[in-house]
Amino acid sequence: MELKKLLQQWNSFPEVSMEERPILSSDLEKIVVKNPLSDAFYLRKKLVLRIAVMSVLWLINIWQFRHEWQTQGNELYPQGALFILLAYCLYFHIRLLLFADYPTLLALPLINFLNKLETILDKYIVSFKLVSALSGFYLLFVVERLLARISTGAYESLMQNDWYKWLILIFLSVSIDILLLHTIIPRLKKLMTTVRKYRDGINSRTAK
Amino acid sequence: MNNSTKKDGPDTDLRSLLKHQHKRVYSICRLFTHNYKEHQHLFTNIIAAASQNIRSRKDNSDDKQTMLLRACINMAALHSISLELESACDRTIQFKSPDFQRSMTNFRETVGNISDVEKILLFLEFEKVDADEMIHLTGLDLNSRPANRKKETEAVRKNFIPYLKEKLIWS
Repeated sequence: MELKKLLQQWNSFPEVSMEERPILSSDLEKIVVKNPLSDAFYLRKKLVLRIAVMSVLWLINIWQFRHEWQTQGNELYPQGALFILLAYCLYFHIRLLLFADYPTLLALPLINFLNKLETILDKYIVSFKLVSALSGFYLLFVVERLLARISTGAYESLMQNDWYKWLILIFLSVSIDILLLHTIIPRLKKLMTTVRKYRDGINSRTAK
Repeated sequence: MNNSTKKDGPDTDLRSLLKHQHKRVYSICRLFTHNYKEHQHLFTNIIAAASQNIRSRKDNSDDKQTMLLRACINMAALHSISLELESACDRTIQFKSPDFQRSMTNFRETVGNISDVEKILLFLEFEKVDADEMIHLTGLDLNSRPANRKKETEAVRKNFIPYLKEKLIWS
């Protein structure tokens, strides 16, 4: 009875007034090419940009690593570690981009769509750990360059002692990670939690 | 020349489909929006999502209907999530047209404070989508609802007991 009443109301609904209605005929051309996902959910551009930057850095690193290998330089182990890290970062980001598959994302059933959205956000948050590790390496190289210019004595002792180098690297990576944990990540975590809560709410309502 | 005709074909189909089905999009907007700005925003996003879905799968027309309905449901869910993220959001119904405003207020009063999943199921019910198709569209396990579960267990029991008897007697 209640459903019948609702259906009656539903069918007797007036059209949206002309001034409030989006004009289909002229705007449709623009609408159909528009990206429906907001910046918070659409990470494709960010991922592509990261992949491009990492690819360039990896190529430079390959050249530097080869040079260090041939000359048995002081930077051989950091360059080797950076080579492995960059390769893994590229693999991680390409995999995430392929998994997200944005053109077909919205064509999934609701629950699968929400699950996938949550996984994408979760992996994207994890990717910031890799970014902080990478930043640690590049900041270490910057510190080394600065020391070479400011104090040659300190630079020499740093070059001779690998432990100092690795400790500075860990300190810088952890600092960047903490910085990201307090700036960018809370917003993403909030978004992921909201998506999760929404999905769980749907599942619990269906089970009732 | 050939390329341009090929290019125009599916696009024209898509445009005509969206123009013919736009009332469905209006329907879901009625359930999930509170004012004309939200209404317009959700409407354009659903149309964009539907066109993206249809373009990504160039199959038969039945599939296009499914893609359109999935776009409606998924974008409505994203709209709700975005509203939840906003700290201060006005949930009063505000439309310029007095008739539409009145109908919306009456409808919301009749429906009451229902959850999003109920809104989605109501939308699909109004669009005369059958139960199997609802599962296909939402991915929800609607058979796990207690009412359905009870029916299912009764059916199993009915079938199971004669089967068991038969087995026991013959063995």
